[in-house]
Amino acid sequence: MLSFVAPMTVYLFVTAPPPLPEASAEGGKRLTASEVLEICAGENSAVRELYTKEIVGAGQKVGLRFDEQWEQLKVDAGPLPALFLRRTSKSLAQSSVRLGLFLGSDNPVNESNRFSGPQADAFREMLRDAEPRSFFMNDVKLYTAMYPDFAVAAACVDCHNEHPDSPKRDWKLGELMGATTWTFPSNSVPVSETLEVLAALRNGFRDAYAEYIEKTKTFSSPPEIGKKWPRQCYCLPAPETFMQEAERRSSKPTLDRLLSRR
Amino acid sequence: MKPKGPRERQDDSLSAVVSPEAVTRRSNGRRGPAPPSNIRRRVGTGVGLCLAITAWGALLAPGQEHLTAPGRMNVGHEQLACTSCHRSAPGSVRQQIQAGTRFLLGLRDTPVDFGFREVENGDCYACHERPFDRHPVHRFNEPRFSDARKAIAPQQCASCHREHSGRRVTVQPGYCQHCHGELQMKNDPLDVSHATLVRESLWLSCLGCHDFHGNHVMKSSTRLADAISSLRVARYFQGDASPYPKQLKKPARQERQNLEH
Repeated sequence: MLSFVAPMTVYLFVTAPPPLPEASAEGGKRLTASEVLEICAGENSAVRELYTKEIVGAGQKVGLRFDEQWEQLKVDAGPLPALFLRRTSKSLAQSSVRLGLFLGSDNPVNESNRFSGPQADAFREMLRDAEPRSFFMNDVKLYTAMYPDFAVAAACVDCHNEHPDSPKRDWKLGELMGATTWTFPSNSVPVSETLEVLAALRNGFRDAYAEYIEKTKTFSSPPEIGKKWPRQCYCLPAPETFMQEAERRSSKPTLDRLLSRR
Repeated sequence: MKPKGPRERQDDSLSAVVSPEAVTRRSNGRRGPAPPSNIRRRVGTGVGLCLAITAWGALLAPGQEHLTAPGRMNVGHEQLACTSCHRSAPGSVRQQIQAGTRFLLGLRDTPVDFGFREVENGDCYACHERPFDRHPVHRFNEPRFSDARKAIAPQQCASCHREHSGRRVTVQPGYCQHCHGELQMKNDPLDVSHATLVRESLWLSCLGCHDFHGNHVMKSSTRLADAISSLRVARYFQGDASPYPKQLKKPARQERQNLEH
């Protein structure tokens, strides 16, 4: 027995290669799940407002269409803001980070986005003070946070008030319309991992927008794609232009949030 | 009669298989050859080891994967290599054993995979990535689907597509009930209302008009009588040809693609 254990001990521990790293071994500053999700929610708010105001809102004025069936081949339209978020969420699911993103409401246009269970409870509380809510999902071991989603543009209010399936027709600008729900598996996140999460999130925004631009190539009257925005013409910014503006708007708040976690 | 000592008993047992001459030589002491029983044991062990190594090598040889697979590949996956889904775990074998041992001893916080990584949704997406999936599995990680997660764990591809089963879909039809029990439609296009179907728990009818992932180019029927029968859907689950239109929005890739950023 000793003749087996002794060589194995030497083989595994004395002459062993460097041990496999584990995330928790990383030193330095760490963030809680709520802090990581707050930063992500801030990034999302900035991009969501940019897309809703400058692409959807301004685009509709120059003849661009946005539709629930936008992915269908013969529909010359782009994704509505909720579907833009859903596409971002899909990209996150395919990335190596385990960040989850969902959108819901107590008065959704699409019934499949109606809150129930703990989300409905949290949203009822959120309606009172418009503050984020967080809880832990025990069955899937995910830290969860919900952030308020406001009507930031006329396009939000107009579309939801006019949509035939909308259960509420008196939305007002600035009103709390719903909430984004975010999930993450760890409550002690090194800064390096936080940056990976942010990179994956920004990739998700880029993927969602690039997919829309790709779809415009099939339109019967494709808009010009380049550096101009719909405010200026029947055109759309290229993905890199869109992301440059998104990053310009979100980077400072994100950096401020990261630096404040000391 | 005086009982025999240990040496005498051993000699008796040997006499049946070893010649008296050999016994004599052995009793002479140190210079004699090893006991014949030891020789037989060593030869047997050696032969056994050789056979085991040969058998192990044969099982691991390229093209023999079916001998070690836990069952037939699912329909459509017959041509896949093991490594299409079973990816190597990080680190060398020695590092994995070392980390596993440290984890068992409480010297490490997280466990490690040994040999191969656990097969996850990402391995399925590598071939079946669909931007417009009607029921993308990650959505079921949302809190409000906790009941569905308890019932059928739809947040994992393998819950409904358990591999090595020789079938296509391994969950029982009728699973829509776990999320759509309160379905309401304002402008119901179906001749028998969806509310009626839900009220009467006719959950086997759903897939007659809707394919779960929405990857088939099809228009839902407006007459329940025109729907695909639940029997055909069940057979499709088992591996029969698809009852849905052949045109797909996004066919599966033939080889995996790394989608991670």
